[in-house]
Amino acid sequence: MELYASFILIVGLIHQVLCAANSIEEDIGNGRNIIEGRVFPPEEQNINGWQINTRIHVNGGEYIGFIRDDGTFVIHNVPSGSYVVEVVNPDYMYEPVRVEINSKGKYRARKVNYIQTSQVIQVPYPLRMKPLSKFRYFQIREQWRLTDFLFNPMVIMMVLPLLLIMILPKMMNDPETKEDLKQIGNLAKMSEMPEMSEMFTSLFSGGSTAKSTNAKAKQVKKRQ
Amino acid sequence: MGKLSFSLKPNFLGLLKFLNSFNWFIVFFSLVNLSVCIYEDQIGKFDWRQSYVGRIKFAQFDTVSTAKKIIVATEENVLAALNLKTGQVVWRHVFESASTGNIELLHVAEKVVTVSGSNPYLVRGWDSATGVLLWEWSLTLQNNDQAEFSEWFVENSALVHMLPVFGSHIEVSMYNLMTGQNRGSTSKLPALWTNEGCVLSAPYYTCLSGNPGSHLLISMDLTSNAVQLISKPLSQLITNEYDSSLRSLDGNSIVPGFILGDKKISMIKNNEFDFLSVELMDPSASVAIVDSSNGLIILQIWSDDEKGFFITGHSLATGKEVAEIRRPASGLSIPSPEISAVTCGTSRDVQPCRLLVTAQDDASHLLHQNGRVVWTREEALASVVAAEFVDLPVSDLDAAIESEFDQKEGSVWAAFSRRLQQQWQQLRTFLASLQAGEQRDHSQPLVRDYFNLHKMIVILTDVGKIFGIDNLTGEIVWRRYERGVDASRAVFYTRRHASLLTVVAAHEETGNGLIISFNPIDGSLAGERRMQLDTRLLQCTLLNKPDQEKLHALVLLDSEENVQVLPRSAAVHVDNTFMYVADKSTAKIQGYALRYDGKEVVAQKTWSLNLAGGGAGFGPDGDSGAHRIVGVWPKPSAERAHSPGRVLGDRSVLYKHNNPNLVLVLTEARDLHHKESWVVAMCVDAVSGAVVTSQVQRRARALPLAVHSDNFLAYVYYSEKHRRPEIATLELYEGQERWLEAGAAFSSFASNNKMALVSRAAYVLPALPAAAALTRTERALAARHVLLALTTGAIVEVPWAYLEPRRPVTPTPEQREEGLIPYAPELPLPAEAVINYNQTLHRITNIYTAPSGLESTSLVLAAGLDLFYTRVAPSKTFDLLKDDFDYYLIAIVLSALIVATYSTKYFASRKLLKMAWK
Repeated sequence: MELYASFILIVGLIHQVLCAANSIEEDIGNGRNIIEGRVFPPEEQNINGWQINTRIHVNGGEYIGFIRDDGTFVIHNVPSGSYVVEVVNPDYMYEPVRVEINSKGKYRARKVNYIQTSQVIQVPYPLRMKPLSKFRYFQIREQWRLTDFLFNPMVIMMVLPLLLIMILPKMMNDPETKEDLKQIGNLAKMSEMPEMSEMFTSLFSGGSTAKSTNAKAKQVKKRQ
Repeated sequence: MGKLSFSLKPNFLGLLKFLNSFNWFIVFFSLVNLSVCIYEDQIGKFDWRQSYVGRIKFAQFDTVSTAKKIIVATEENVLAALNLKTGQVVWRHVFESASTGNIELLHVAEKVVTVSGSNPYLVRGWDSATGVLLWEWSLTLQNNDQAEFSEWFVENSALVHMLPVFGSHIEVSMYNLMTGQNRGSTSKLPALWTNEGCVLSAPYYTCLSGNPGSHLLISMDLTSNAVQLISKPLSQLITNEYDSSLRSLDGNSIVPGFILGDKKISMIKNNEFDFLSVELMDPSASVAIVDSSNGLIILQIWSDDEKGFFITGHSLATGKEVAEIRRPASGLSIPSPEISAVTCGTSRDVQPCRLLVTAQDDASHLLHQNGRVVWTREEALASVVAAEFVDLPVSDLDAAIESEFDQKEGSVWAAFSRRLQQQWQQLRTFLASLQAGEQRDHSQPLVRDYFNLHKMIVILTDVGKIFGIDNLTGEIVWRRYERGVDASRAVFYTRRHASLLTVVAAHEETGNGLIISFNPIDGSLAGERRMQLDTRLLQCTLLNKPDQEKLHALVLLDSEENVQVLPRSAAVHVDNTFMYVADKSTAKIQGYALRYDGKEVVAQKTWSLNLAGGGAGFGPDGDSGAHRIVGVWPKPSAERAHSPGRVLGDRSVLYKHNNPNLVLVLTEARDLHHKESWVVAMCVDAVSGAVVTSQVQRRARALPLAVHSDNFLAYVYYSEKHRRPEIATLELYEGQERWLEAGAAFSSFASNNKMALVSRAAYVLPALPAAAALTRTERALAARHVLLALTTGAIVEVPWAYLEPRRPVTPTPEQREEGLIPYAPELPLPAEAVINYNQTLHRITNIYTAPSGLESTSLVLAAGLDLFYTRVAPSKTFDLLKDDFDYYLIAIVLSALIVATYSTKYFASRKLLKMAWK
């Protein structure tokens, strides 16, 4: 039994010490760069947790960075090259920046211009990202305004008959229309509720004859 | 005088010009208005979003902060905090989807610590309450080959990295958790006994080592200064040592331990193995050791195919079963469960144990110790493979009315009595609906609504779980888990309208075809049920012609080029059926003609196309310049085209080339030696094999994103030359004359020797898209919009008018009249066109669209890490009253008008009376 008892082996301390701190620095030379900067919060002070909703996307999510409480961010292990750094926030718009890192580890930050790709407008590095504006996702519901109300077809429907009522009496003064109206009046007397179609036909036919007579009268006048 | 007219004349002309351009501006702004966006008060009215995190990899209860949470890290590279009571996401961080985002370690103490990436690694600290990043440092390993075997753990607020070099030694490094400073530097511990089967139960590393027959169980404390080995011969522990294996404990067990041979549970205590008296209840059981108010408890969970889910707890000290821990009521199916995290109240307050259990179907359940399920998260929905909108069946009443008109026979009286009966039924249901009121009853069967806006979304997930989701509420109506399904290339087919849906997938192990047919409304198996084929499938399609039972037959082409038709009786209907098979890596496309020869259906090779190009000779590797297929986009099946042509400004018609057999093939080639890359887009007629048109982009990288419908197509690529994403669009026209007579069905053979007119353009996209789709409406009357999901998490609706390749640089008056927008290189992606407003959707992979019964409205489902459903109206809701339509105003105006008429009539008669008296 003793033979099978568990035993502990103590091996000498063969600790091979490697300096890991040096290894990290070595690697920076091998094209492992960092992109750093700071995101400024939106103006409004009452926004809680904007840090959690804000991400840094490099080349559309190839590298993703997160921001700290004070808005600073660092993206690690980026090989040399050209990158579009954008701040993604669901409510606020930030301008993207193109960061170029050459093989020697030199940085240049410039404005993104997709149309004139060779145009260089430098921006400071480390990046300082400021919100441009709030996204306007929504249409604004129309507010109640007097002009809107007046030009509302419904209101016009109400107002136009009123106007007609105002104008009609003046038209009454014209003797020819008076006659037409009399005819209509006669029709109205014949039946208490005249049929719409009849009323319209009589109105229109009457109107057209009146017009034609008017035109005739004018012609006569011209001849004179 | 003359001078004045002289100076006026050009001004007048200028005014005319101005007016003309103004006219164009009106057209332009009317188009701008096309981009619909919603009102702020419509948030959540037509849309819903469900946030997922993916299959849980690591989980730990956060018991420190006041708001109780579970911190999870997932296979989808997501770090999230879940509310303990509801299971909802409190905060969530989405890491890179590539291996740079892999989460290797999650440690929750006062702060949350994660290690992510794959050499170089990133160590990050998070605030558990708010989720804000606290610190971050990077770590690069020198030894890159072995880095994948790395193990991490946190011991005494130091991060320990362990890298075993099997059969040689173990490298152990300790780092300061917050700063990354190397505290004790790297030490190499000699360990000849290590192999792939070792397990880490921090801080011990345990292995089974030695020659067969004389196995030793060896364990070592990695963090102690002196190297101490604990060892024991295996023959002493178990009788049959050949099938022995090591397995670690789950659920962040508080004491180091392991499971030996799926049978014995051992702890490591005081540098000695301590085998417990409690043995494993089931070989597949998941075990965790937790601290509770009555001492340490060994929890075990497992699932039995017949008996269901089990959970037991034993006291470590006494070995007695804890009575409070009970299995949940039957009906809960948790296949192959694993304990992700467990917590029990340690102090005197009677806090029961709670377990977070993750099952094989990716679902996570939070269980109470008494067996109550607190909440369930269906994390399978974080990786959707295919989705289909299914029409709901018509209600019994509607079906009865329809059948009434079908019945032609019978006397007039019989028809009359039927009619009366129907109306009595209608009245009764109307009264019943009045009584029920607004609230919807869950027991009511799902039936189609008047505008067919209510549908069932059937979703197939990567893990093989199929869901039926109500599109209006987002509620999961049914779910079914199919084991052993390799769903990565699965396709849905609607076999019978609203009653039979078929998934064609492959078997996980054999790769042979697997067919699952089910009823999409309730999820029950139907038709062929689950059918296992004994060959691999190359291609499958659906027959256009249904049989007598309105069932569309499934035509399958297997790897030996044999054709199977399901059901077999439908083989006679196979006629004029063509198929093509594209091989992605070799870029070969093969066309087949299917024919019924009286006995069976045979596939005949008709054409083949090799798109690999001349670069294939350079070498076997993928970067040698040979083309590979990025994607193939046929036209959506059962698609309607509204008009056969376009009316131009001069009143002539430009006829569309509307070839239903057209397939867009995108290929990509890279030549690393010459730093060249090409993207080739080819439009191939899938029946005749003719190349209708093709175009090349040099120095570009293809993205697997394209849309194809009607006579237009668009695809996205990344221009390496300009370092920007671009979208290329094509439109195909037949010209001013039709090729075929009006109304004739399109024939690929008849139009084989004719050249289509192609208009092409490319536009700069100011953001990188991740998915693309076209809106679909019932009759294709409404405008077509392209939905682009961006990597920023927004879905943008772009009208086709902006993508149209016919946009002229300087428009002529005719083109202006036609409504063409002048060409601008950059596509506008305004915030108003974002259909998901500020609800960020992470990693969208697919957008599915479906028509509704309303011509104006298209239903949209975006799937990725999140699910988002909404409806869009590309030409605005022209067939619906406006949302804010003022019913009151129109009612008041109408009644006022009626009152006014009668009152004026009364007053008029009075006036007449007065006049008569005069």
